[in-house]
Amino acid sequence: MTAPLDGVRVLELTDESAEYCGRLLAGLGADVVKVEPAEGAPSRHIGPFLDDEPGPDRSLAFWADNVGKRSVVALDDTDVVALCAAADVVVHTLRPAQAAARGLDVDALHERAPGLVVCAVTPFGQDGPWADYLADDLVLMALGGSMAACGYGPGAGGVYDTPPLASHGDQAWRTASTYAAIAVLGALAWRAESGQGQLIDVSAHECSASMTEWHLMTYLCSGGVHRRGPHPTLTAADGRQVAALNPDFLGPHVFAGMLRMLEDEGVAGELSDPAFADPVHRAGNYREVWRALKRLAARHDGETLYRLGQGAGLPWGVIRSPEEVLDDRHLRARGHFVELEHPELGRSVTYCGAPFVAHGSPWVMERRPPLLGEHTDEVRAQWSAGTPAAGTPAAGAPGRAGAAGDGDAGRAR
Amino acid sequence: MALEGLRILDFTRLGFGAQATLICGCLGAEVIRVESTRFPDAIRVMPPFVPEPGERGEAFGAATLANATGAPSANRGGIFYKYNTGGKRSITVDARHPKGLALLKDLVAESDVVAESFAAGTLARWGLPLEVMRELRPDLVYVSMCGFGHEGPDTSHVTMGPTAQALTGLTFMVGLPDRPPAGWSFSYLDHVGGYLGAIAILAGVIHRRRTGEGQHIDVSQLEPATALSGALLLDAMLNGRPSRRPGFPSGNRRAHPPAAPSGAYRCTGDDRWVVVSCRTDEQWSALVGAMGAPAWAADPRFATLVGRVEHADDLDAHVESWTRGRDRYEVMDLLQSVGVPAGAVQDAADRLERDPQLAARGHYTDLGNDEVDALPLEGVPFRMTATPPHTGGALRRGPPCLGEDTEAVLGEVLGMSTDQVAALRVEGVLS
Repeated sequence: MTAPLDGVRVLELTDESAEYCGRLLAGLGADVVKVEPAEGAPSRHIGPFLDDEPGPDRSLAFWADNVGKRSVVALDDTDVVALCAAADVVVHTLRPAQAAARGLDVDALHERAPGLVVCAVTPFGQDGPWADYLADDLVLMALGGSMAACGYGPGAGGVYDTPPLASHGDQAWRTASTYAAIAVLGALAWRAESGQGQLIDVSAHECSASMTEWHLMTYLCSGGVHRRGPHPTLTAADGRQVAALNPDFLGPHVFAGMLRMLEDEGVAGELSDPAFADPVHRAGNYREVWRALKRLAARHDGETLYRLGQGAGLPWGVIRSPEEVLDDRHLRARGHFVELEHPELGRSVTYCGAPFVAHGSPWVMERRPPLLGEHTDEVRAQWSAGTPAAGTPAAGAPGRAGAAGDGDAGRAR
Repeated sequence: MALEGLRILDFTRLGFGAQATLICGCLGAEVIRVESTRFPDAIRVMPPFVPEPGERGEAFGAATLANATGAPSANRGGIFYKYNTGGKRSITVDARHPKGLALLKDLVAESDVVAESFAAGTLARWGLPLEVMRELRPDLVYVSMCGFGHEGPDTSHVTMGPTAQALTGLTFMVGLPDRPPAGWSFSYLDHVGGYLGAIAILAGVIHRRRTGEGQHIDVSQLEPATALSGALLLDAMLNGRPSRRPGFPSGNRRAHPPAAPSGAYRCTGDDRWVVVSCRTDEQWSALVGAMGAPAWAADPRFATLVGRVEHADDLDAHVESWTRGRDRYEVMDLLQSVGVPAGAVQDAADRLERDPQLAARGHYTDLGNDEVDALPLEGVPFRMTATPPHTGGALRRGPPCLGEDTEAVLGEVLGMSTDQVAALRVEGVLS
């Protein structure tokens, strides 16, 4: 089976902020080549490192976001420009002045390769009053609004005595990277029709600002602002927490299933009183509901409590650490985790795999993260100027101006 | 626009699926929402409600589906306006009516993509299993989006964003050391799942252009989340350093790469904060200069990054003693002017009314419909020079009133006359 981006060449010239974009495009089958300086991309020097020993080929942060790519060490900017001209897509994290100084501004690139899709991912976008401001993920999570809505609730007297919190995992950068991948796919679809390249301008700040669900609407509707505080959780017998949202959120019918479960476990108590069948009564006496749930929680470990609740139709989930997700039977059955050989280490490593199950074009996950400069010669030979994009016409791969297909099968009739 | 000419028949509800189709709409796809007057999308009828001019609506805190019966109309549910930009159109069809099902089949035959976010098996029960849709449209790209997806042992599980966030490690990653996780107070995964849903649609369409083949892509809310923990999983597996350990998660402090000061610091006002993050000696020196070179900053413990990280508690207290009497935006602008990464902790009101960057970038687009005056709404947060996306989609319009496009769509797509549509309406098919 052919992957959607089979034969599409993506040149990646990014710092750690946008590497996740290339990882997604590689999963869709693109030939993603990471162009690095002699000392390696910045992320190769960010920990944690394998066995806590630093080294460009030992960064686990690098591994997580660069699996599936190839690596080329560029000689100089002329070399980089030549590689760009042989690509279908360039993803970079340069600000306008930096790009221009290196001969990588979009006009210069389009002069050599008019069909090139150039995607610039920057903290604040190509223009605007904050365009030159500096940001790491923490700054973007603050400005975007996630932080204001994440953290612990107020202490005594209604005063917030702990700060707003940002998630680990660089979520603003990841959102920007994901939007960058979406925009690149849109640009490739358009290029298949028109032959035209273009510049995509991704502002991580805007991406971060648009991911807080109902918060903007609450403000527009009520003038109120959402404040931070955790969702309700139950503490299980093993100390694990289970997210236990108010079942009435899903509708009044859900209470019946919950009551059955509590009665089966012999902890329903007052909830068996028919008065509790009335959602209005429940809403006024939710403390009683919560007491019964706490009695249930004290009897089971977290994973069991999660499955008990789900069995009763409740939207419960046990709070797992990232490594505890590995044991999830559902994800395993869906083939989510992928083992990749690292031959130079004599071992294989488990990676998170496909973000969805695509029956006609399975996710491509065959290459372990590249060693620094591992593919320099190979890529130079394959990408040398004038050669059409990789991939064979028989597999439906595009020519230079027709990446991602050239038919009209995608058009509505 | 990038996806002009692409037609998506959109059965999504709530946030997750609708986020995917709104992205495609903003890129120019024609998105036709198939809805029902009897079972309206919950976010159409739950608070907060868009108020009448001059009124204030009800905040989300009071929202449950149980009290949705108090909705003023199917067109004032505020959250609907977050997830249904992109110029989506709305038709109402009663799928349980034989003629309604026949209409849906005719629409499937004329669509490039079917997107839905029902519980697994729902469309099949309506009479639209994948085999039937494929007969109608052999090259159909069918993208299903629901909590656990359509395949696997736990597909019956009920999820909302926070459920999936708990199960996939996202909730765990937000918190202070040695306290239960604080987690996210909103459904971040409704967005992330929707982004991957959009990628699935785009990948399916591109794949079909190249091969002529359609396919089924099944998107859950779990898989899109696992890679969001970055290196934490690898660190646990390979270095034996699990995330569930004393001291982790570490609030706003980050070990990789190390930074100090790094965190949120209190400013003037009620619960107002600024984030400051220094990774280098240059940034630290600039911060010291901006603070007026206070005596404490000369403490040898703070001379190196390693020292600043080691003594972060003391350092944070000192930095906060400086920010505490200052306005968060003034601190941000002052520090940025000398090259120190800093940002105000903004809420939704700040983003709309005090953020000059979002304003200058045209982040919000004023859009309304027949029932709701124009609101500043969001679409996709990127620009494209050749095919600019638009929050109002190809039609340049706001989120649709329930069923407002029924007659137009049946006419344009199926060639039905006004009289034919009127007859179906009398029969109750278009409810």
